[in-house]
Amino acid sequence: MHRTTLTPRTIISVLHPHRPILDFLLPAFTHHPTHFPRRHNATAASAPPSPQPPPSSYGQHDPQGAKRRTPLSPSQKSFLDSALRVNQAGELAATLIYTHQTPPLLRTHPHLRQLMHHMHAQEAGHFATFNAMLAHHRIRPTAMYPLWTAAASTLGWATGLMGKEAAMACTEAVETEIGGHYNGQVRVLVRWMREMEERGEEVGDEVRELVGTLKRIRDEELEHLDEAVGEGARLARPYRLLNRVIRSGCKGAIWVSERV
Amino acid sequence: MARAFAPFALTCLRQRSRQPCLSILSARQYHSHEHASSSPFSPTEDAILSAALKYVLSSSFTAESLSLGAQDAGYLPISTNLFPSGAFALVNYHLVTQRLRLSDSFSRPDPSPQLNISDNVRSIAMQRLKGTAPYIPQWQDALALLSMRSNIPTGVRELARLADEILYLAGSDTVTTAWYTDRMALAGIYASAELFMTQDRSRGFADTEDFLHRRLQEGEKLRDAGSMVGKWVGMQAGGLIDGLRSKGVWI
Ligand SMILES: [Fe+2]
Ligand SMILES: [Fe+2]
Repeated sequence: MHRTTLTPRTIISVLHPHRPILDFLLPAFTHHPTHFPRRHNATAASAPPSPQPPPSSYGQHDPQGAKRRTPLSPSQKSFLDSALRVNQAGELAATLIYTHQTPPLLRTHPHLRQLMHHMHAQEAGHFATFNAMLAHHRIRPTAMYPLWTAAASTLGWATGLMGKEAAMACTEAVETEIGGHYNGQVRVLVRWMREMEERGEEVGDEVRELVGTLKRIRDEELEHLDEAVGEGARLARPYRLLNRVIRSGCKGAIWVSERV
Repeated sequence: MARAFAPFALTCLRQRSRQPCLSILSARQYHSHEHASSSPFSPTEDAILSAALKYVLSSSFTAESLSLGAQDAGYLPISTNLFPSGAFALVNYHLVTQRLRLSDSFSRPDPSPQLNISDNVRSIAMQRLKGTAPYIPQWQDALALLSMRSNIPTGVRELARLADEILYLAGSDTVTTAWYTDRMALAGIYASAELFMTQDRSRGFADTEDFLHRRLQEGEKLRDAGSMVGKWVGMQAGGLIDGLRSKGVWI
């Protein structure tokens, strides 16, 4: 599942040339992606930590000598609150887009079966990850849930009917926005971690693992982008119109979901 | 029975403040499991209000209880200025502390197929109702304060927080639109059960427990019916599309 390619990184740095790409060069914890438990092991605060992969290096076990760990500030919490809500909504939409794109698309292009199933499976995994995070961190889902469900299903179905290129252009447009969106979140979290470390505080596992998860998911989104371009997204007609409409739709949806 | 809840809903709709109605529903932000959440009351408030609560049995939810409590806690009676909402501060203190106390008795279960969320909701809600049992003779006064216009937003928010707390501790992990409907339904059921309780003379509030049980079961049925309708519509639509596709229609 977790394929590491360099392409997404190159792509995003092309997409956002003015932005620093330092966060890609970050230290080791990016290399062993720490997965949020798929089925959330929601334990009460007092319960012992789950017996899952103990990401060793950080000292939650040493009683003394542990660095101070400051609680997240209200503004940090509200950032995480809306960020994770938007992510869940986005993954809901992505899952539905592929679900509804696949049947009409496969009738004309059976060779896309594997690709579509692979992308859908990854989106379903992302969706499950954020669902579990919402339940675990007690974040409400977006109130626009039914609306996004309808919109994403329609978008997937319509672009699927329009043909392979349009479907791929849809994926390209969506993943461009989503990839940039995840990148923005990673950048913020990385800044927090740097600030915490500068103050000599310990970065909590929650934030650390979240950064790892977001990076992994972002890389997978950017793989989808690559695949879509490879399958001829740019040949869609009218490419520019589709690209512009879908991307502004994504931006609008993100804006709304951050708020309600 | 829904009488108590109706004014809440109305104000919620009328509220034109910058905080949208949804923020009342959401009631909380990202919950970190790495830090115990701090008490919403300052030590002074805590000292005065907890002392004042002891006078509620004799002097009800009144300014008098509040100033007696302040004196008990070693503060001048004037220090009740700390509480601009007056006697309502006592009601609020009771509601908040009772809600927070639930997590002492219940902890969120790990997900498992045997998990019976409805049963958990019922026992947690009943436990919470019993927290109000000692104040039943005074509860009419509390309800009067709760239905005052200026106190309604706080009351609604607290009720939403309670519903969220109960569902969280019961192990619910619903994060679809049902997140909202579950909380609204539970809040309504809880409020009506509390109202029922003020008239309940049965031993150990057995009638209230029955009432709560029945309302929750009805809610459950409605919820199932709702999702069945959704599934049925989905199946019909899916069948229709497949049928058309098999006839060569290009959808
Ligand atoms: Fe995704
Ligand atoms: Fe994707």
